[in-house]
Amino acid sequence: MRIDRRKFIRQSSWAGAALFASSVLPNTVFAENAFDHITILHTNDTHSQLEPFPMDGSRYAGLGGVAERATVIQQIRAENTNVLLLDAGDIFQGTPYFNLYKGEPEIKAMSMMQYDAATMGNHDFDAGIENFATQIKHANFPIIICNYNFSNTAMDNKFIPYKIFQKGKLKIGVLGVGIELKGLVAENLYEKTVYQEPIECANKTAELLRKNNCDLIICLSHLGDKYSENKVSDEILAKECFDIDLIIGGHTHKFFDSPKVYRNQRGGDTVVNQVGWGGIELGRLDYSLARSEKKKVFKTQTVVIGKKTRE
Amino acid sequence: MLKKFITYFLPLYALMVVAVCNAQTTTIEFNNYRIENVSKPDSGLLKLLMPYTDSVHKSMNTVIGFSINGLIKKQPESNLGNFMADCMKLMAEKKFEQKVDIAFINYGGIRSYIPKGEISVGKIYELMPFDNLIVLQKLSGKILQQFLDKMAGRDGWPVSGLTMSIKNKKAIYVLIDHKPLDENATYMVANSDYIANGGDDCEMLRGIPKINMGYLYRDALIEYIVSLSKQGKTIDAKTDNRIVYAN
Repeated sequence: MRIDRRKFIRQSSWAGAALFASSVLPNTVFAENAFDHITILHTNDTHSQLEPFPMDGSRYAGLGGVAERATVIQQIRAENTNVLLLDAGDIFQGTPYFNLYKGEPEIKAMSMMQYDAATMGNHDFDAGIENFATQIKHANFPIIICNYNFSNTAMDNKFIPYKIFQKGKLKIGVLGVGIELKGLVAENLYEKTVYQEPIECANKTAELLRKNNCDLIICLSHLGDKYSENKVSDEILAKECFDIDLIIGGHTHKFFDSPKVYRNQRGGDTVVNQVGWGGIELGRLDYSLARSEKKKVFKTQTVVIGKKTRE
Repeated sequence: MLKKFITYFLPLYALMVVAVCNAQTTTIEFNNYRIENVSKPDSGLLKLLMPYTDSVHKSMNTVIGFSINGLIKKQPESNLGNFMADCMKLMAEKKFEQKVDIAFINYGGIRSYIPKGEISVGKIYELMPFDNLIVLQKLSGKILQQFLDKMAGRDGWPVSGLTMSIKNKKAIYVLIDHKPLDENATYMVANSDYIANGGDDCEMLRGIPKINMGYLYRDALIEYIVSLSKQGKTIDAKTDNRIVYAN
C-alpha cells in the first residue's frame, strides 16, 4: 500500500480519537453508533472494447468484455444495497465497432449494465459532437460535466453539471470535468464547445453539492492522473479542491495498484483512483461513512484505505 | 486534581469534540477487479451485442484489394513503408484539399505486414491498430532537417515526396521535389498526430501548429485501397532508393 508512514500515523490518531470519542461522548454525536455503506464501481477509457481482448497471445488476451463486466456488476449489486456505477469518459474509439456504429452499441451496453452516470472524454468527440449527442439518446444515465460550455452545440440541454443520488440514507453528489480539447481534438469535431478552467468549475460545483448536504462528493474526471509538465491533472485537482472526496480518473490509462490519497485545501483527504483502459478492470471502492446527526456543511474526511479481498 | 483535569484533559476533550464534528474518519476498502475468467457472461448483453458483432466480423473479413507482392517493413526503406507513405501523402492532399510536400510514417507504428493476394479490412486493422490521425504542419527547412536527422539516427522511416542518404546518423543529400532542402523555405508536412505532438522523441515538432480534421490514418489506408480496386488496380509497391546509406 502506498501510504506513507506519517499519513498512516495521522490517520491512526484520527481513528483513535474518533474511537475514544465514541466511548466517552454522549450518544448524540455517534447516534445509532452506525456506519452508512456505499459501493462505488467505476470504469474509464473503455474505448469501444465490447468483446474481451482477442486470444492472440497479447498482454490483455481474454480480459474485459461488457457481458463479462455485467456479470461481475450484477454479483456485486446482489450483495450490496447501495451501489453507484460510474464512468470517467472515452467510451468511444478503439475497435471496429466504433468505426461501424459510431458508439451506439457502447451506449446501449452501458444502459443495460445500469450505469448511473458518465462524463465525456476527448475521444467521445471522435465522430463529431453531433454524433455523441445522437448516441446518448440510447443512454438511460446522464452525461455529467461542469467545465464545458455546450451552449452553441448539439450537446446543449443534453448534459448536466452535477447530480445528487440518494442511496439509502446517503446523499451522493456527482460532478464531472473534461480535458482541454484544443490541440487534442480536431476543431471541426468539438465545434463551439468552450472549455473552462476545470479546478474553478469543479470547486464551485462541489461547494454547491456540499451546501446541499451531500455526504460524499465524487468528481468524474478525464483530466489524466498527472503529468511531468505543468498541466492540470487529477493530482492538482485533488490538492486544490475543497469539497471533493473522491476523483474517478481517466485519460492516462493508468492501472492504479491502490487509490492515491492527497491532502486537500480543507486539510482533509481526497482520494483518486483509475483503472487502466479497455474495461480490463472494474474499480471498486466500499465506503463506510460514520453516521452523525449533526451535519456540518464543511466537513472534512480522513481516510483509511485497506484492500478488499475478493469474494 | 481539578487543575490537572483542566490542564490536560479539557483541551484534549475539546480537541476531540472539534475532531468529531468537523472531521470524520472514513474507511474505504478497495479492489480493482480484473475482468477475467467470468464463467457466465451476461446473456442480455450477449444478445444485445450479437447483431453488431456479426456484422463487425463480416466487415473485417471483407476483401478490399489485392497485392501482387507480399509487403513487409524494413529499414532504411521497404515496399510496405513506401506504400503506406505514398498513401498518406495522396490521401492527405485529397482530404485537406491542398498540396502536401512530404509525408512520414512512424516506423514503430507499423504493426504487421500485407500478405501477397487478397487484403481484408481486418488486415489493415492489424497493420494500423492505433487510432492515429493524419495532421499537417508547415515546417521550416531548418526544423525539417532536425526531424530528418532524428529519423536518420533511427535508421530511416518511411517517407513520400523526398529522397535522402544517411551518413553518421544524419540526413544528407536531401531532395524535395528534386530540389535540395532549403533551410529558409517552408514545407507542408503530413505526420501522425502522435509524432506531430512530439511523440517518439520528436520534440522539435511539438508546439508547431497542426491542421487536424480528425482523419484516421487507418481510414485513409482503407479508402486508398478501395479506390485502387475501383480503378481496377492492384497494389504493386516497390523500393526505389528513397533512403539509402551513404558510404
